[in-house]
Amino acid sequence: MRLLEYEAKQILRDRGFEIPRGVVVRRAGELDQALRSVSFPAMVKAQVPIGGRGKAVAVLRVEDARTARDAAERLLCGQVRGYPVEALLVEEAVPIHREFFLAVTYDTVEKQVILLASGAGGVDVESPDQASPGRMVRRVLDVRRGLQEFEARQVAAKVGLAGRDLMGFAGVVRQAADTFLGLDCTLLEINPLARTDEGRFVVADAHLEVDEDALYRQGDLEKAYGIPRREATGRAPTEFERRAAEVDGIDHRGVAGRVIEFDGNLGLLIGGGGASLTAFDAIRRHGGRPANYCEIGGNPSVRKVAELTKLILSRPGVERIAVIMNVVSNTRVDLIARGVIQGTLEAGRDPVSTIAAFRVPGSWEEEGFTLLRKYGVEFCDRGVSIDEAGRRAVKEI
Amino acid sequence: MSLFIAVRVDPERCRAGQPCTACIGVCPVTIFEGRDGLAGVIGENEDECILCDLCLARCPTDAIAIHKLYADEIRTGAGVQGSAK
Repeated sequence: MRLLEYEAKQILRDRGFEIPRGVVVRRAGELDQALRSVSFPAMVKAQVPIGGRGKAVAVLRVEDARTARDAAERLLCGQVRGYPVEALLVEEAVPIHREFFLAVTYDTVEKQVILLASGAGGVDVESPDQASPGRMVRRVLDVRRGLQEFEARQVAAKVGLAGRDLMGFAGVVRQAADTFLGLDCTLLEINPLARTDEGRFVVADAHLEVDEDALYRQGDLEKAYGIPRREATGRAPTEFERRAAEVDGIDHRGVAGRVIEFDGNLGLLIGGGGASLTAFDAIRRHGGRPANYCEIGGNPSVRKVAELTKLILSRPGVERIAVIMNVVSNTRVDLIARGVIQGTLEAGRDPVSTIAAFRVPGSWEEEGFTLLRKYGVEFCDRGVSIDEAGRRAVKEI
Repeated sequence: MSLFIAVRVDPERCRAGQPCTACIGVCPVTIFEGRDGLAGVIGENEDECILCDLCLARCPTDAIAIHKLYADEIRTGAGVQGSAK
């Protein structure tokens, strides 16, 4: 879950980072008071959950209250790459002597936490054509041990710092590592990390993402900071999506409840190593109108699949449901079949006329097919492609 | 009532093997619980049975029977009866 810049900065401030003084503005009526509380020059920054705001002219430097007001009123009325601007952060500009880049994230290839640091921060620093790879310091972070003080100093030294700057930068590096691990982040990026003329290191911009699967143990986000759970799109979940997430939380087994709501008539239970996207695209390509996007996998319990099926079928306008997965090795076909049939029956529907396609080949498929035969539900095996299964589902509507 | 799987424990056989919690401890999906000193079946969990047969293998008195309702097949510690025989 991506946090907005001002939310990330609130958290970082409480964890000891130096943050510029600023105020959040949500309505034009709040501007007068806000502009009195900061000194100029200042930055007016649209709070939207995307990067590249500078290029999108959604981050503006203003020299006085009048230009700040103009910029704020313009940004508050608009959108940034399709995202409505619901809040602005007006904060004092940092007198930057030098910009640095600092990030902690997961290397999904090596499956390790890595810390990245560079003596060159700012726009496009991550882009290979902008930053020489040799200048980006990369260090693996041990999730059990964290980052020790001497290791943080090693990073600072590799960035090319010495003396007081080395100590200051190393302190921020250590804080970043601790914050990343303590908050169950998937990304903490500070860019630029600004060194001021006086030698202080200030977080000029911050991007923080928290692992959604760990939100249950990060209750302070909502309790202490008022940050609600939100979708990757940045919007609040719909009632349907919220109820689906509750279904997913019934037990720890597998995933059956990560959905995105659409307004079509074909409910989807799809998943399997990227197959959910393939199936969704196939259904669209063949003229279908999905009622939802969905990811199921990891061998969810029969109860979860049944409840999700029931929930999807409860939506007005959903005529049928398609169950399409890749060849699954870690999800039992028979358990998915049980859940779908149970959910269909509990929704008061006939499985034969409700299940437009069932294409889930893999573990225990013979058992699953036996069950589907018993209920008279048509199914297809791995000889039928995901695309063809999508076509058949659309044809049944 | 379950749709797909019915798990039954014969109380007389179960009593003969007491004290015992083998099925409760071995079931990965919590089908069993202790009830009046014997093994009881949690009805709402029956359809979660993954047919691993661990309870059948561990029960010292062959007190457990698993009925696959969609295949007319009964699995016990002594073997399989029905369509999959």
